[in-house]
Amino acid sequence: MSKDSQMRAAINQKLIEMGERERLKEVLRAKLVECGWKDQLKAHCKDVIREKGLEHVTVEDLVTEVTPKGRALVPDSVKKELLQRIRAFLAQHATL
Amino acid sequence: MSPAGCSHVNGYKVDNWKQNLRVIYQCFVWSGTAETRRRKAKSCICHMCGAHLNRLHSCLYCVFFGCFTKKHIHEHAKNKRHNLAIDLLYGGIYCFVCQDYIYDKDMEQIAKEEQRKAWKLQGTAFLASHLTFFVSTGIGEKYTTWEPTKRELELLRHNPKRRKITTNCTIGLRGLINLGNTCFMNCIVQALTHTPLLRDFFLSDRHKCEMQSNSCLVCEMSQLFQEFYSGHRSPHIPFRLLHLVWTHARHLAGYEQQDAHEFLIAALDVLHRHYDNGKKANNPNHCNCIIDQIFTGGLQSDVTCQVCHGVSTTIDPFWDISLDLPGSSTPFWPLSPGGDGSTVNGESHLSGSTTLTDCLRRFTRPEHLGSSAKIKCGGCHSYQESTKQLTMKKLPIVACFHLKRFEHSAKLRRKITTYVSFPLELDMTPFMASSKESRMNGQYQQTVDVLNNDNKYSLFAVVNHQGTLESGHYTSFIRQHKDQWFKCDDAIITKASIKDVLDSEGYLLFYHKQFLEYE
Repeated sequence: MSKDSQMRAAINQKLIEMGERERLKEVLRAKLVECGWKDQLKAHCKDVIREKGLEHVTVEDLVTEVTPKGRALVPDSVKKELLQRIRAFLAQHATL
Repeated sequence: MSPAGCSHVNGYKVDNWKQNLRVIYQCFVWSGTAETRRRKAKSCICHMCGAHLNRLHSCLYCVFFGCFTKKHIHEHAKNKRHNLAIDLLYGGIYCFVCQDYIYDKDMEQIAKEEQRKAWKLQGTAFLASHLTFFVSTGIGEKYTTWEPTKRELELLRHNPKRRKITTNCTIGLRGLINLGNTCFMNCIVQALTHTPLLRDFFLSDRHKCEMQSNSCLVCEMSQLFQEFYSGHRSPHIPFRLLHLVWTHARHLAGYEQQDAHEFLIAALDVLHRHYDNGKKANNPNHCNCIIDQIFTGGLQSDVTCQVCHGVSTTIDPFWDISLDLPGSSTPFWPLSPGGDGSTVNGESHLSGSTTLTDCLRRFTRPEHLGSSAKIKCGGCHSYQESTKQLTMKKLPIVACFHLKRFEHSAKLRRKITTYVSFPLELDMTPFMASSKESRMNGQYQQTVDVLNNDNKYSLFAVVNHQGTLESGHYTSFIRQHKDQWFKCDDAIITKASIKDVLDSEGYLLFYHKQFLEYE
C-alpha cells in the first residue's frame, strides 16, 4: 500500500474508533437534507427507475447512474465544513 | 428484486443464523460500543487489497471482507459458492445468484433492531445538528420516526377518547373568570396561550420540573395549557396562577387594577427564572429557556460622536418595545405618510392618523443628545455632543409592541387615547441594524426584497384597555387558525371580525414571525 493510502487507512481507523465517523455522517446527512441535495437525488433516482422499469432495475443500476451526479452536486460549503471538522478532529488527536 | 426476498437465503437460515447475523451487524455494520468500534476499525479492510473504501462487503458464510467495486467479494462468492454478502455501510444483503440486494423480512427485522440498539448507545454522544427549537432543551437524540413506548401505548389504551381538530373547531379557546380586577392578567394569559410556539412547547410536555415546592410558575403555565386545550367550554378559574403571581411578583399583588404590560414583563421574568430552577443564575447571558428562545430580541444602540464620528455600540436584550405616542409630553414629530416603511406595511392612513410604523420610525430615528447631555467619547477623549440611534439587531420570534398610553409624568397622570393603526402583517426590515448600515453606505432607495422573509411578522393577539387611568377594563383579541379572531372579555368569548381587531385602540400588540428557521 502506498504511503497515502496507509495514512488514509490510519485516519479512517481513528475516526471509527472514536465514534467521530458516525458523528460526521450525521452532520453530513443533516446538511445534505437542508441544502436540498437529498431531494435532488431522490428525483434523479425516480427518473432512473422510470427509465429502466420498476421490475428490472437493480441497485447496481442506481449506483452507477446516481453516484457521479451525487458526488458532483455536493455544495462546496458542505465539503469545506466537513474538511474543517476532520482537520479539527485530527489536530485534537495528534498522536497519529 | 421482489420484496418477498429470494429463495437463496433459505440455505443460510439454518442453525443459529439469527444470532450470527446479529453479531455481524453489531460488530461490523452498526458498532455501538467502544469495543466493537475498535474491532471494526481494525478489521474492516478488504482481504484481497487492504482498502477500506470501495463499498466493503462481508461474506455471510465465512469471515471474508471484500471490495464490492473492485469485485473482490464477487470472486470470493464464485470460488467458495458463498452466495450471500452484507454491505458494511448500509447493512443491505446481496445475493450473488439474483445479482441484486434482496429484502428478507426476518433479516430486515434483525437489521432494524440492531440499528436502533446502536443508535441508543450512541444517542447521548450526539448533538443533532438539525435541532429544532424544541429539542434544544433536551439531550441530543438521533432523529427517528416516533413510535410509542410501552407506557404511552398503555396510556393511549386507557384513554380512548380522541379529539379531531378541524378548521372550525374552537379547541384552545376558554374564558377566564375575573377574580377581582384581574382582567389585566386574563388578557395576557389569553395572548400567551395562543402563542403557537409556547403552546407547542407546553403541549409536548417539554418542561421537566426540578423545583421541590409547588410554586413553579412554569408548571402552572403547563397546567393552564392543559386546561385550555381540554375541550371544556366552561370558563377557567385561574386562582392558582393568581396566587403564584402574587407570591413571585409582590408589586402586582392586591385587588387593585394593575397594568397588563407590567404583568406581561413580570410573568415572562418569573417563567424565565423558574425555568431552570435558578441554575442559570450563573450565566444570565446564555439562557436557552423557551422564554428567551421565543421572546428575546437584541436592541442595538449606536452613539455617534459629532466631532470625530466614532460610533460606540451596545446591544441589549429586550422582551418588548415600548413606543411613545403623539400627544404625550415627549415630542413626537409628525412624519409624512408614504415615507419609508409605511408603504411596505400597507397601513391605512385615515386622515393623517398615526400608524405603528410611524411609531417604529420615530423609535429608530437618530436623536441628537443636546449640549446638556454630552457623552465621553473614546476617540476624542473628551465630552462631546453626540447622536444616539436605536435599531433592531436581532428580532425575536414573537415581537410585543407596547403603546405607551399611560402617562405618569410629574405634572399629569392620564391616558392617551390617540388612535394608532396597526397592520395584520408587519415587515421589520426598515428598522433593522443591517438596513441602517446599508442606508449609511449610500444605498438610499431600499428596494423591498420580497424574497427575504426573515423579518415578516403576523399579528396574533391584541390587548386593549377601555376606560380611564383610574377605572378601566382590559380585553383582548386573539387569532385562532389563520383568519379567525375571537374577542376575550374575561369569561365571555365571542367571534370577532378582522375589522373589529384593526379598529380597536391597541395597547399591546403581539406579532409572530411568519417563517421560522432551524438554528
